[in-house]
Amino acid sequence: MSARYGMVIDLDRCTGCGSCMMACAAENNVPPLQQATVRTGLTPMLVRKVSNGLEGAARREAFIPIMCMHCEHDTPCVKVCPQQAVEVDKATGIVMQMPQRCLGCRYCMTACPYHARYFNWWDPSWPAGMEKSLNPGVAVRMRGVVEKCNLCHARLHEAKEKAAATGKREIDPADYVPACVEACPTGAIRFGNLADRNDPASQDARSPEAFRLLARIGTEPKVYYKSKEAWVRALAESKSGHGPETGSEVQHG
Amino acid sequence: MKVTRRDLLVWSAGAAAGLVVTPVPWKLLDDSSIWSQNWPWIPQPTRGPVEVKQSACTLCPNGCGMRLKMAAGWPVGVAGGSSHPISRGALCPLGFGAHQLNWHPERLRTVRRRATTSSWSEAKAAFAKACSEGPVVIIDGYPGRAASSVLESFNQKRNGSYRVVLGRETRALAPYEAWSGVPASALGYDLENAQTIVSFGAPLLDGWGPPGRFTRLWAERVAGAGPQLRLIQADGSLSRTATRAWRWVPVQAGCETALAAGVARVLLEERLVLARGPMPPLTLVDAASQTGLTTDAIRDLARTIVAHPPAVAIANDDNPAIAALNVVLGAAGASGGIVRRSKPATSYVGADAAIPSARAVLIDSSVPWDFARQTDAEVFRFAAWDGGSSKADWLLPAPGFLEELTDVPTAPTSAIETYAVAPSLVKAPAEVQSAAQFLSSIDPTLTTAEKIIHARCEDLFRGRIGTLIGRDRTSVAKLDSVQKFEEQLWKGAVWVGERSRPDGLRCELQVWPTAATSARPESWSATWPAPVLPPLASKLYKESSLREPPERRNA
Repeated sequence: MSARYGMVIDLDRCTGCGSCMMACAAENNVPPLQQATVRTGLTPMLVRKVSNGLEGAARREAFIPIMCMHCEHDTPCVKVCPQQAVEVDKATGIVMQMPQRCLGCRYCMTACPYHARYFNWWDPSWPAGMEKSLNPGVAVRMRGVVEKCNLCHARLHEAKEKAAATGKREIDPADYVPACVEACPTGAIRFGNLADRNDPASQDARSPEAFRLLARIGTEPKVYYKSKEAWVRALAESKSGHGPETGSEVQHG
Repeated sequence: MKVTRRDLLVWSAGAAAGLVVTPVPWKLLDDSSIWSQNWPWIPQPTRGPVEVKQSACTLCPNGCGMRLKMAAGWPVGVAGGSSHPISRGALCPLGFGAHQLNWHPERLRTVRRRATTSSWSEAKAAFAKACSEGPVVIIDGYPGRAASSVLESFNQKRNGSYRVVLGRETRALAPYEAWSGVPASALGYDLENAQTIVSFGAPLLDGWGPPGRFTRLWAERVAGAGPQLRLIQADGSLSRTATRAWRWVPVQAGCETALAAGVARVLLEERLVLARGPMPPLTLVDAASQTGLTTDAIRDLARTIVAHPPAVAIANDDNPAIAALNVVLGAAGASGGIVRRSKPATSYVGADAAIPSARAVLIDSSVPWDFARQTDAEVFRFAAWDGGSSKADWLLPAPGFLEELTDVPTAPTSAIETYAVAPSLVKAPAEVQSAAQFLSSIDPTLTTAEKIIHARCEDLFRGRIGTLIGRDRTSVAKLDSVQKFEEQLWKGAVWVGERSRPDGLRCELQVWPTAATSARPESWSATWPAPVLPPLASKLYKESSLREPPERRNA
């Protein structure tokens, strides 16, 4: 039976520390870009700050980690890619990006409703000698291709190899945990197989506090969020964007 | 043969149809794409056998447990060590890029004397000469380590001064030391048993103590595990901790002292607490006008604090008024409050205190880069990275991340004693030396840090108390030999002492303290004492606007 990997992020527990962003970049050999800006950076996992738009004591803020939502239905990036460089893996539900096929047209970036795709504007580079600290399980991507979260696919490979070495067909769920999930100090990100109704993540996704961003467009994203705050849940269908000056801050009012 | 127009059309149509069905052009396109993405200047990860090692982070005194993925002998990934009893698998954001630091462009590799290249022999000669000419002050930023003992021993032999740069968490415990005689370094917060925590600007969820300790506890309680934990954050702005707190009390910045006095006055006037303490001289009206709150809001806050005991107040820095509030609350020396750890600890003299006239000042690499004292003495500054402008006369390259064997004593805010060892997992460049190695080369009679660690392990083993927590939990009393004890520590296990009785701390307070400092705003990377940030930190403040850009030059 094929899996449908996804995650549920408890926004009431996200403190916006940024550990997930750092762990993601280190795991996936995403280069540090000193010349980049908020617009041109590579952040497959990006934590945005949102507010209820009020000021003073009534102001409330929350943090929303945004990454590829791994849309299940009519996946927008898959539909527009002229190179077949994006596909939804039937066995896992992971939206895969193949940099070798990508020609850098960036149609997928335009099509993605979540702005979760990033273009490699520069040759990947690290300070001299620092390539020794790169993760050997992940290849470095070239300038001119689009990148995004692939749910730490290298870790899934490792889990499969481990299972195969012991003669098993199925992986142990404990062996496949994406870096952001592992790094979260509050355990706000729960990862699992959403197709398995007994999986804790799947159960979380069905809770009344769970929601998905822009669910109305019908792409069936596999990243869920949950919050007890009504104003946070209302953000899911917000049509307001983020201004160039505020960078990653989104206001809901 | 004559080529007709018809032949040309047929040939063209055939070629077009053939192009569609033959794989050659598609294969060429694919190959050229792959070829163009494998330029020789694109960095290639190190290949080699992969293994996982457990250790502890040595970047700051919190000593969080770490799990390092090593390839061909180099660390290629960092994750939190889930078995660590204090950090519980969490790291600060910077910890995830710590393995890159040893290749940071600002890594120090040569001895420098006032911006000119020098040598270790010249530095040793200059320091030895200074020692023979007058007293020496040694400043440590991470006290309690075996290396710290080497620094102290060197000083004792020369009647010099040993000073410590204390973190803000330890500075916040200084008033209790003054009132009880128990060293601040022996005190901790029993957060696990508290049900109401009032933070006066302390960033409890953003860089206060080991990142995993309170954030894990808070998250578990938010999720409904254990009794409810009410986190009340009095803050001048909607900080990260305030956004997630059970209640945010917006006060004017710098008015924590007045708020503490106002709350204590209500507690005492309305007899809301059993413990007795001195009445603050500040009236409730004055407290309200200073904090920007109403008198009713302060009364409500006081009643809320005592509604779910045990309650404890936490200051962001040395603030006697907030410590006095804890005395009034009965939180000093009580379960869920400020407790004394089981082991007696040394009372350190802070580096903020006046430094006597000295011939030379030696600053260990653990001291935050921005620490600077006005002195006429010759300054020998050890550092692994160059953080920018420095007033040091000598800049001496020190070992970087996990390049030297060190031990990890108890984290500053912990309520229980812990001890761990961080072995040298990365080969250090030949040209670096730690301050302890430097002093040992000048005075060969000093005991080395390695021997001190061995002696400490023997002491803990002979004590027969506590538990070793690694992959398994093993009582020290059940271990056969000190070799097995040490072996476990070297593999990443952590020794945990027994929880102390909370009544080991008694504070005598007759008069409400007047001298107080207000909480100082701290940079998000303030708890990390090294002068540079991992390059990947650009994701946090440059490639996103999640964090404010750090003030340090070489961030």
